[in-house]
Order: sequence, then structure tokens, then C-alpha cells
Amino acid sequence: MSEIVWIPLSDLAHGRSGDKGDSFNIGLIAHEKKWLEILEVSVTPKLLGEWYGDSVTGLISVWSMPGIGAINCLLRGGLGGGATTSLMLDAQGKIWGQSVLRMRVPVNRKHATELGVSLNNQSENQWDMSHLI
Amino acid sequence: MAVSKSNVAVLAHEPIRIGSGGGFWGDRPLAPVDLLKSDDLDYMMIDYLAELTLSIMTKQKRRDPSSGWATDLEIWLAAGGIDALRKKKVKLVTNGGGANPESCARMVLEQATKIGWHECKVAVISGDDILPRLDYLLKNGEELTHFESGETISDNGAEMMSANAYLGAGPIASALEIGADIIITGRVADASLLVGCMLHSAGWAYNAFQLGLTRESPVVDWAPKHITNPLDILAQWTIAGHLIECGAQVCGGNYSNWDEVPNLATLTLPIAEIYLNSDVKITRGRGGGGMVNRKIVAEQLIYEIGDPEAYITPDVVVDMRNITIEDESEDVVVVTGAVGKPEPKSLKVSAAVEGGWFASSSLLISGPNALARATACDLALRARLSALEELEIYTEFIGGGVTLPKNIRQQLQPILNPPEVLLRWAVTSPNRQNITEFTREVAPLVLTGPAGVGGYGARTKPRRQLQFWPTLISRKSVESLVKIELLTHLHITPESERFHFIRKRTRGFISRLQDELDEREWTRPIVKKLGFERNDSIAELTIPKEKEVEI
Repeated sequence: MSEIVWIPLSDLAHGRSGDKGDSFNIGLIAHEKKWLEILEVSVTPKLLGEWYGDSVTGLISVWSMPGIGAINCLLRGGLGGGATTSLMLDAQGKIWGQSVLRMRVPVNRKHATELGVSLNNQSENQWDMSHLI
Repeated sequence: MAVSKSNVAVLAHEPIRIGSGGGFWGDRPLAPVDLLKSDDLDYMMIDYLAELTLSIMTKQKRRDPSSGWATDLEIWLAAGGIDALRKKKVKLVTNGGGANPESCARMVLEQATKIGWHECKVAVISGDDILPRLDYLLKNGEELTHFESGETISDNGAEMMSANAYLGAGPIASALEIGADIIITGRVADASLLVGCMLHSAGWAYNAFQLGLTRESPVVDWAPKHITNPLDILAQWTIAGHLIECGAQVCGGNYSNWDEVPNLATLTLPIAEIYLNSDVKITRGRGGGGMVNRKIVAEQLIYEIGDPEAYITPDVVVDMRNITIEDESEDVVVVTGAVGKPEPKSLKVSAAVEGGWFASSSLLISGPNALARATACDLALRARLSALEELEIYTEFIGGGVTLPKNIRQQLQPILNPPEVLLRWAVTSPNRQNITEFTREVAPLVLTGPAGVGGYGARTKPRRQLQFWPTLISRKSVESLVKIELLTHLHITPESERFHFIRKRTRGFISRLQDELDEREWTRPIVKKLGFERNDSIAELTIPKEKEVEI
């Protein structure tokens, strides 16, 4: 059995997103504060870059907010120019905070089990989309 | 939500209670009246301005010089709101004045007059609009470079439609200090609406004019000298403002666990309770559904922020990293731990330049292989418009995974089989005629595309886009020109339509405040003032003591 399994982000955190010019931020709050250490390791700029592909054109930053057990992700250049000139229906990036919860994130099986994270929806494959259908 | 006896005992004090009347211009317009009626507040704040709202208001003002402010304000004031403010002695602080705070204030005075509130004093805070002196500023060293793209105004060449600097809390506190009942501002930073109330209630503004501070002095310097951590207190107030500025979004609206929220239909508005030890509690109005808990408040803390180490407002830069949010009791959370750093040297400016022409349209498509039918429609429309130059067409297949990133969507589409797709186009062009041509090609697809196409409407009209232009300006270019005017009227007779305004003018917000206070024999309000004392043994503020003073 592999040490690393991939679980939907929704099993680890809840979130909210909004716009800042042509960027949007996604705040992700661990369901349990002690899960922040997993969230910090799992959700990296690299992982977000793989999920968003060319839907985001600029730099991606992730910061920790240990006081509330959260990370804040800022994704630049993802709104088609920003609210006023974007051609996208959701020009303010309001949906991304919920949509990203369906992304699979890597967790260490043993560590996650110890901390009580549900592995019911685990997969060994990052791109297993069965939970999206 | 009443504070329980035990809390009062612990904190030895009633908090200042500040309600939020909504989250934006377009939010439920009558909700503020419900909150005023159901709860006891010291202040109500309402943030009506999103990033581009002022550009829209500036356009409106060009067409009609009496417009350009948040009309929702008139709707709720006329629906019992002005009466509730007067009867319950709640001071209203809002940036709904938008591009035309003076006209907005006149409307407010008219509402007050209608209910016989002749002594109502309305303060107008302006000076945020830098458009009239744009050329002067550009010639005198301000660059106003777009801070995302790095583009300069001369590179862009388009006409600037609006440009408003974000003012801080100082002018609001000063207006309260000279006795305003209702404060109407242009672009004031969202959270500063609350900070302004606290600068007044906690006695900082009073201290500032006692010390004779100038209008350019940072608000942190207004703190009475026994306060050892004024930046952290400003940070706590700023976070309280940030948490309630989006209205019901901190009471269960837009919450991930939305299915746990009781009665979304009657969601109530939030209230921030500020204690003199700088504790902040977030709770909600008693009149309806919704809930407040630490998860909901955490979602709002993190809403529309960048680097949590530097949440920048005109008053203070807040480090949010160690803020904690704890449930205290049902619908009450305690927020602590905001750390303040000195105010920024520059102010943010939200500007807008004229953009291209725009339209959007959609069609509903059903049947077996609905996605393939929608794709065929899209290809046909694009082929029919292919002769046009400078037309950008963006297509979304709603139901086909548009809320997933493109690469995920492409992996999924072969296995998706939605019963219907909403095919939506948005187009833009520098040439208006191109947009008109597009609008003529949508409905014909009902007869000239695949079977199963419906949901067409009338041709949409091309409209001008505004391009958002965020930039920075030095404080000195703005703050010395901030203006506070106090409008009231004395001799209104019912049969007279003429209003006699007494206008008190100050250029800046501190320099002539003392003169103002000396002049105003017509106003002797009892204002709730709070005293601070320092407990040296534990080196922190612990003595919240309330006294009523007549100023």
C-alpha cells in the first residue's frame, strides 16, 4: 500500500473565494484546526498550478494563517482581466472557493488516520475523477 | 443579542455595538430597517461600494448632476429607517454617497424633515474624488501606474472615467466629534467605517483635537497616551469592520456548510461588539434566520484578502496570521489576536478607464448529445461572424463543467452527458458595430442550428465596458484636501419647500475642529464617551469604564 493517498479537498477543508482585480483568492479552513499541518503540506502552489492549468496565468501564492487553522491561496491572472472586462460568467471568481473542494490532494495515509481525517474517498491516483461524475 | 450578565461581570462593561446594514449596493434593501428595529445599536455602518461601483456612479452623475449615489439608501430610509435611526439614537455611517455625497446627504435631510427631525445633522465627507485634479497630480509627480499591469496612463491613452482614493477613518471620527447624526461619504475603505466610529467612541478623536493634532497625523497618534498598544487596537477594530462589511455573509450566507444554516430566507445582519480591552465579538440581529459560529466567521476573515501578514487599510496594516476565532455561546464568537503595523505611506486609488464594447447572450440546448449540439451551434455562430476583425468571442457550455478549470473540464467532457446545456457567449470589440452583428446572429440559430435549441430572447444591446485601474497615490496629495461639511437646517416650515442649510465647512479633518466645536451652539448632543485607564500591574487595558459626558 502506498504511503500517499489522494482525497478530495472537501474532506480536509471548507473555503470561500473572491476577486481582487484580475486575481482571486481562495481561503481554505481546515475542518479541524489540528489538520492545518496536513493542509499546509498538501495544498501547495505547485498542486494548485496543476489543477488550474492555463486557467490561471500568473503567480500562485499560499500563506498560512495558524490562528484559525487556514491557508490563503492567491491566484493571479485567473479572471480574464477582472470583473469589469472579463468575458467569464463568474467574473468575480465567487465559485472557485467551492469548486476547488473537488480537487484531490495528497495526504500521508498514516498521519491522516492518526489525526482522524476521513479517507473514505481515497484514491491512489491524483487524476481519479470518479468523484466528479 | 444581549450580553449575558456573566460577560458584563467579566468585562465590567457594555460594548459599543455596531451593526452592518448590508454588503453592497444591491443587497436586500430593507434589511437594515429590520436590524434597527430588532436590536439596540450604537452605530450602523453600510459599505455600498465595490471596486467598480464608483465608476458606474460617476457615469450616472454625468447624465444627472443630482444622482451618483446608492439609491438603496433612500429606499430603506423612506421605509421606516430614518424614523428608527432617530428613535433608537443610532448613528449611521455609510460610503453610499459614492460619486455625489452632497446630493445623497440632501436626500437624507429631506427624509429627516419628512418625519419632523429638524435638528438632524448630516455630515458630508468628500475629497476622495481625484479626477478633477488628475492633470495637476500627474504633472506634480504622481504616476498613477496600474499596479497589476505596470501600465501608465499615458501608455493606455483611454479616457479616465473615475478615480477615487480610499480615505481612512479619521474624517468619520471627526464628523462624529462635531455632532453628526448621519455620515455620508464617498470612497472610504470598508473597514474604516467601523474604525471611525470607534475613534470617536473610545475618545481618540477627542484626544486628537485636545492635542491640536493636524489632519495629516496618523490616527494611531490620536490614542490617549496611556494606551500602550494603539496599533493592535486599530488592528482589532479594522478586523471587526472587515468581518461585518459584507453583511449577512458572516451570518451564514455564502457558507460552505450552507445546509446547516437555519432559514436562509430571513437571514439577519451582523453586529460587532467592541470592548475596551479591544476584544471583538461578532453576533447577529435577533429578527430572523442565520447563524454565527467560528467556521463562518473564519470564512469571512479570509474573504478577498491577499497576504495575511499585511491586510492594508488607510488606518493600519493588519497582520492576521495569529487571529483566533472562538465560539463563546450560540451566535456569539470572540475574535482576538490582530496585530497592527503602521499605516501605509500611500493610499489605494480605484480608477476606471473607458474600455471596449460588450454584449452577452445565451441559448438553451437539449436532447441526446446536448453538448455536441451546443458545440455545433457555437461553431456555426463563429463561422458566420468570421469576417469581422477585432471581435473576441468567449464561449461557455454551462452544464458542461465550466466551473472546473479548463484542463479538468477537457478530461471530463467525453464522459459527461448532461440533459441540457446553457450555451453562453460573451463578446468584446473596440468596434460597436461588431457587437451589433453578433447580437443579430444569436436568435437565428433556433431555426438554422441543430434541433433542440430554445431560450432565445430579444437582441441584447452593446454596452461600454470600464477597465478597472487600481493604483496608488501619496497621502499628502489627498488628505490635505479632504473636506467635512455638516448639513442641517433650522427654519423649515411645513409649507416651505426651501431648505435653509447651515453649512459648516472644514478643510481637512482636524485642523479646524476646535473652531467648529466653539461655533456649534446649536448642537449639544449627549455622546457616549468611554474612558480608558491603565492597570500597570499587568500592563494592559483592563478598566473599561463608561461615563456619559456632555460635549
